[in-house]
Amino acid sequence: MDAILETRGLGKSFGHFAAAADIDFRVAPGELRAVIGPNGAGKTTFFNLIAGTIAPTSGTISFKERDVTRTSGTRRVHFGLAKAFQTANLYGDQTVHQNCRLAALAHVQGPFAPQVFRRSKRLRTVDDIAERALSRLELDELADVRAGDLSHGDKKRLDIAVALATEPEILLLDEPVAGMSRDEARKTEALIRRLASEMTVLIIEHDMDLIMGISDSITVLHQGRVLATGTPGEIRENPNVQEAYLGGHSQEEMHA
Amino acid sequence: MNASRTSAARARRSGVLAGDVRFLIFTAIGLAAFPLALHAVGGYGGLATQICILSVAAIGFNVLLGYAGMLSYGHAMFYGGGGYLAAILLMRAMPAHPNLWLAVLGATIATAALALAIGSVTVRLYGIYFALLTLAFAQMVFFIVEQGGEITGGDDGLQSFPNALLPIGPWSIDLTAPVPPIDMGPLGTVSDLKLWYVFAAIVLLLVLWFTRALTRSQFGEVLGAIRENEERSLFVGFNAATYRLAAFAISGALTGFAGAMRALYDGTVAVDSLGIDRSGSFVIYTIVGGVQTVFGPVVGTAIIVYLENVLSGVTPLWRLIEGLIFIAAIVFLPSGIVGTLGGRGKRGRRALFGALRARPATGVAPPAGPAPAAVDVPRETNA
Repeated sequence: MDAILETRGLGKSFGHFAAAADIDFRVAPGELRAVIGPNGAGKTTFFNLIAGTIAPTSGTISFKERDVTRTSGTRRVHFGLAKAFQTANLYGDQTVHQNCRLAALAHVQGPFAPQVFRRSKRLRTVDDIAERALSRLELDELADVRAGDLSHGDKKRLDIAVALATEPEILLLDEPVAGMSRDEARKTEALIRRLASEMTVLIIEHDMDLIMGISDSITVLHQGRVLATGTPGEIRENPNVQEAYLGGHSQEEMHA
Repeated sequence: MNASRTSAARARRSGVLAGDVRFLIFTAIGLAAFPLALHAVGGYGGLATQICILSVAAIGFNVLLGYAGMLSYGHAMFYGGGGYLAAILLMRAMPAHPNLWLAVLGATIATAALALAIGSVTVRLYGIYFALLTLAFAQMVFFIVEQGGEITGGDDGLQSFPNALLPIGPWSIDLTAPVPPIDMGPLGTVSDLKLWYVFAAIVLLLVLWFTRALTRSQFGEVLGAIRENEERSLFVGFNAATYRLAAFAISGALTGFAGAMRALYDGTVAVDSLGIDRSGSFVIYTIVGGVQTVFGPVVGTAIIVYLENVLSGVTPLWRLIEGLIFIAAIVFLPSGIVGTLGGRGKRGRRALFGALRARPATGVAPPAGPAPAAVDVPRETNA
């Protein structure tokens, strides 16, 4: 099957330090892929390269067989690639509903729409998309709450709902359960599992245990490079992975 | 909940026209009464006209500061630029048949183009850096015009260009014609109004209506979203730089439009219309009146220009008093006169802090209380 997202030789160097190097990576449509690795493995750099937050210093990224290596993050969203932030990044003064509405508005109206007389309230489809995104993250009850007043877990779920309101084909999640209580994390995990039945999901996670249960396949990064890719079972048995996770910290400290 | 939101939306929709009509009627009444009130407190007819025209410029400035969150310290380049362009158009392109529409609209379009060109550079910067760059561009324009020789008149500016007529249908209206005297009984008779006031007031009415529509429109909504959290806006798919540039161009065009009217009204245009004092005056008018409010720039302009007119003849310390008013507004009434009366409390302070932040707005939501100090969050957290 053709990959929906593919990178070849992808790398990002900051001066002499290669935060990511020579990453070949393929995600099949509908897959739930996790990218894991010990601290400093280059997960966030990799995530930012895919999302378009930073530009690579080498290699290519293609999405739906279209080269997006030099495409801005904003345009990638319109191609169908949306990200949720590691630290919930919301319109804190707006309601939960309005947060999703703005994302739906961008999806329906495009990157720039100089509608200086028409009000967006007239766009029914925008409301529909926003409400659908909220109900998929079970946030309907909180629709009229100010986003800045939400609990930590609800903020993180709203961040995912905002990404969802851009109607993506692939959803990038950066540590979606970090900082959540165990109950919140379990609930969010179940919601992600449900989302994954409808779209491709790419999760960056620090916590290996969490990811084992829900991923179709896992890519392990170590020191900016791909160490292994396989099913959760294969990854668990892989001696290199075990080595990286057990011995990773001392090496990490040497690099820091 | 879904049903109630829909019915609320429907109620709003049917109220739109009624709201617009009410807005236009009440504002028109206010503008008709304004020169009479000004007369009662010792102002003259020409002052009312000047206030209307300067208000349009301040409204343009507020589109940028209030709604896009960008503090320009160079808006005189559009104000003076519009004035010079209108004067040059009249003198060079239509000396025989001076047409006010063509001169003003031509100057406005040219100012919009200037704003697009300068904006494509400046909107990449934020906060104080943006303010300094707009100031630098304004000084550059000032210098070019001052050294412009015969075309711009150099230090002397341009004088005695033809009095432009306003063609409406078969008529050509001379705006310097007087308005019939208005008898206000014990308050005296207003006899020094010209048709210019009627024209400037109608223009101001339409500009107010336009900005009100703009701020409530989808464009205004997105602009507000970008102002609140640019990083998030980029990743829901809004092209923030293009929105900021569009706001800059609209703002520059409105201010240029006002400058063109002012030149035609005065019949002269001078380099100080491009100067740093002029740029600063728009900041003062807008903040004293109320940033992020539709009427704030008008009220601020009226108060400051009126006081300047009354006090500058009485005491040489007028500029000091103006400065104290500005400081008092920032400290005690950060939402300005209109914003404070409208119940915005100290929210204006957050708007001003936001416009001074040197990075794009990003997002970890600030707490509900006033905490503008926390807005300077690093943009990228690279674990």
